[in-house]
Amino acid sequence: MFCPGASALRHIGLGRLEGLDVRERMQTSTGAGGERPAAGRPRRGASCPNPSLAVCARGLSKHYIHPWTRRTTRGLEDLSLDVARGEVLGLLGPNGAGKTTTLKILTGLLKATRGRAWLLGEPVEETASRRGLGFLPEQPYFYDYLNGIEYLELVARLSGLQAQVASERAAHWLARVGLGERPRLVLRKYSKGMLQRLGLAAALVHDPDLLILDEPMSGLDPFGRRDVRELIFEQRERGVTVLFSSHILPDVEMLCDRVAILLDGRLTRVATVGELVGDGRQAVEIRCAGGALLEIPQRWAGRVSRVERAGEAVIRIEDESLLQEALAWLVRSGVEVHAVTPQRPTLETLFMAAAEAEAERRTA
Amino acid sequence: MIPLLVARNTFREATRDRLVAGVVVAGLVLLAATQVVSPLALGEGRRLTVDLGLTGISFLGLLVVLLAGTSLVAKEVERRTIYNLLSRPITRPAYLVGKWAGLSAALWSVAGLLGLALWALVAVGGAAGHAPALLEAVYLAGLELTVVTALAVMFSALSTPVLSALYTLGFYVVGQWSYDLRGLAEKAPDQLRVLLSALANLVPNLPLFNMRTLAAEGLVTTPLHLALATAYALVYVGCVLCLATAAFESRDFK
Repeated sequence: MFCPGASALRHIGLGRLEGLDVRERMQTSTGAGGERPAAGRPRRGASCPNPSLAVCARGLSKHYIHPWTRRTTRGLEDLSLDVARGEVLGLLGPNGAGKTTTLKILTGLLKATRGRAWLLGEPVEETASRRGLGFLPEQPYFYDYLNGIEYLELVARLSGLQAQVASERAAHWLARVGLGERPRLVLRKYSKGMLQRLGLAAALVHDPDLLILDEPMSGLDPFGRRDVRELIFEQRERGVTVLFSSHILPDVEMLCDRVAILLDGRLTRVATVGELVGDGRQAVEIRCAGGALLEIPQRWAGRVSRVERAGEAVIRIEDESLLQEALAWLVRSGVEVHAVTPQRPTLETLFMAAAEAEAERRTA
Repeated sequence: MIPLLVARNTFREATRDRLVAGVVVAGLVLLAATQVVSPLALGEGRRLTVDLGLTGISFLGLLVVLLAGTSLVAKEVERRTIYNLLSRPITRPAYLVGKWAGLSAALWSVAGLLGLALWALVAVGGAAGHAPALLEAVYLAGLELTVVTALAVMFSALSTPVLSALYTLGFYVVGQWSYDLRGLAEKAPDQLRVLLSALANLVPNLPLFNMRTLAAEGLVTTPLHLALATAYALVYVGCVLCLATAAFESRDFK
């Protein structure tokens, strides 16, 4: 039976759960050599290292071998990830980073080349792992010969609900996602946004404990995105665990407890949004009057700059450690300081920086 | 339970498809056409009606299998509708069995409907006593379609719709000649004999399900024949679906 050691648990993100220093948490997904699961197809029956987790993945890899050329493409490499129950975790990454591959392995649609994963304590190879799972695939497609009610009834029954309960839940969720006015409309007449809403209703119709959503905001207008966000918030309030992938960084920033960044098939970072955004040196902007003629001292070249904005001088300090010194210099120079504003980097900036760093690492 | 839910959905898919409605209409037109040509059959009009009617049921059923059955699973994979099902707590064998059962039920319905129309036609012609023979013939035609559907589901689970249709058609054609293949094997040199015998055993023994000639005469077959045909169909379908699920179990859905 595979049982990772404490360092491995810390390494893959359990640090927060165990009250360990968040800084010690995962920087990359690569586990220590001795604690890696054995190569080969996942073994059935291996018990979950921590059944209290909603999602537990250890050393997941997915390689595709071309049937003719035998060339191997690496879709995912040694991914280890934990998601605690009730947590909302966003999976970030550019196209082809391995987000969908990860989610498909977790939902049983792809078989991992190496590694193991568990959902709600059950191995993903077993159907039991999908009993409490609600899944929304990327750009979902449905049976276009069914209507909304029929489709939701079908998936509710397949998820184990009795006929009567399935009918009630289907009607409830169709109305909940704003499609209840025309329950008998066949799905071939649904718009893209309506299909996305139906997909969400299908993922939620059996009251799952774990939601896995692949690009849930994709193709939605601002109203649709707001509705999806509200639904995710609502599920989080209910204690449902949510794991979702997205390209829309503001949504991720707004919704997630933690963010996992995937680049080129590898998990490069898992941290809270606050940690990600709070990491590193913050820039500070000082708005002031009368600073137009000031000469920035040479010793601060490259670290302090000045721009004119709306009739004010804005002194931008790239490194907040210079703030006190710069403020003292401004006061000495007779400048009237109006405001001092820390400039938090956005998740987008950090994501781009992580992507560039990974690209540089690969080049090196 | 799960196979029944998948089967019900597949049945709904098939019966809401224009193809099945078109096939039923084509079958009814064919039966009406036999009434036009039967006066030219020199007193053999009833035999012609029954023979053509039963052939039409088998042929049109095969058409549904080739056009709908061979894309039954492949289409779901291509359109990614399969994600919504297999991410639920259902096993892949249950899914495949459900698919096969659903389409088979639709084909039995088509065969039953056209069989009923054929009996009505024959009864109007004064041969209502043909009912038992027609019932048995339609039952065997249904069994034949059930066997071919299992092959179509297997190929569909492993290949593209076009290739699945070609493989299924190949098995159907060779299966119709399985008796001749066995005869040929007996006369062939040693090595070829093994090959031909293996092929004859691999393809379904479809002549077992053909009693059109008997039914055209209004004759019934023996209960043993019906029992053997039923048992053979069940065993063959079981083997094919086992093979299909074994291969489908490890399939990735990219």
